[in-house]
Amino acid sequence: MITSTLRKTSQTRPVEDRVATLNNSEKRSDQWSQLLISVGETRDRKAFAQLFQHFGPLLKGFAHASRNEGWFPGLGDDLVQEVMIKVWNKAAGYNAEKASATTWIYTVARNCRIDMLRRKSNTQHLPLENEDFWHEPDEETPISLLQQKRSEDRVQASLAQLPKEQDQILRKVYLEGKSHAEASAELGLPLGTVKSRVRLALQKMQLIVSKEAQE
Amino acid sequence: MITSTNHHPDENMLIEFSAGTLDTAASICVSAHLHFCSSCRAKLLRLDQVGSQLMSQAEPVEVKDDALALVMEKIDSGDNAAPKEPSFHGDMPFSVNKLMGTSLINKNWKRLSSSVDVARFKTGQDDFEVALHKICAGGKTPKHDHEGLEYTVVLKGSFSDENAVYREGDFLLRQPGDVHQPMGAQNGECICLSALSAPIKPTSPLGFLMKPWLRINPM
Repeated sequence: MITSTLRKTSQTRPVEDRVATLNNSEKRSDQWSQLLISVGETRDRKAFAQLFQHFGPLLKGFAHASRNEGWFPGLGDDLVQEVMIKVWNKAAGYNAEKASATTWIYTVARNCRIDMLRRKSNTQHLPLENEDFWHEPDEETPISLLQQKRSEDRVQASLAQLPKEQDQILRKVYLEGKSHAEASAELGLPLGTVKSRVRLALQKMQLIVSKEAQE
Repeated sequence: MITSTNHHPDENMLIEFSAGTLDTAASICVSAHLHFCSSCRAKLLRLDQVGSQLMSQAEPVEVKDDALALVMEKIDSGDNAAPKEPSFHGDMPFSVNKLMGTSLINKNWKRLSSSVDVARFKTGQDDFEVALHKICAGGKTPKHDHEGLEYTVVLKGSFSDENAVYREGDFLLRQPGDVHQPMGAQNGECICLSALSAPIKPTSPLGFLMKPWLRINPM
């Protein structure tokens, strides 16, 4: 049997406890992550409503930004509903040491959006959902919420400083959900140019990150 | 967890993976690599942060007044409980586990040559054949070229070719014109995940021995 051949003596690391105790500066640093932790730990409906008010319109905007095959007018409302239900259901497994709530919810939304569009445009049975690609082991070195918030702030600041064409290409890739090949066809640019433009944008952003990190 | 992988997907692949625009076959291979590679996971987190910040900056669109009430209703009705996740087989990447549990075309290995066995997956796309290959200890595979792309991720053991030794987690992309002759390590069998976009062509006179390799069966 294939499964038995692949099975091996694995030394699974014990699942690390999620951050139950955060110091005050960390609490202030990211209210959304804090709310998400409350939803996971105590099924806090008030916290969930706050998350909904903040992320609902962003998720709907994210759905509207899609320019993918399979897009339909009700995608926005459907995506908000599906993502927020997933947020409720998966909140207990949320690990604030791996990603902030904003990044975590983005990954849920991205996976949901792809799967919803694929279900609309694909007639074949798909054994894997996009979500299945996103089960990564816990890291040995957890990242505190404060560190994550800082790094997100840097990403945000560096995005604002990108030249227009680099900003445009990142939006096409992340918000419109265009592959490099689709972006190349749409912009009338060689694939290599699209690839290097995307890399350039990120190098520029990482440069800012590394410069600040040295200070 | 093994983190000392030497061969990684390139930045553009990670970016497309993070944006969710990478095709299914490549995504399976990238996700398998990420299982083993903490440095790519760290890169990916930064890329996801780019996505999340772009989403945060996108034009918000007002949701319907009763949207939250509807969601709470669905949650309370309880029919949205998260589906049970498949159990892990040893230390394999999640996506590979799930494919092994649900999508193997045959339950047993099929012999490709005296040293290589194959197990193919159904993955719901027509562009790539996704499969596991098992090379026996010290097994030689025929020297071959590629007509299309071939992604390989080492899941267990190691193999080598003219250029390097590839160990657990290593990610390789072969393109047309890359000729190589993989060889299983002497100290044990090697299992690789692969996604193949077109038949590979043998370059050695004994290439006919690898005839079964020439049929790709995307599922």
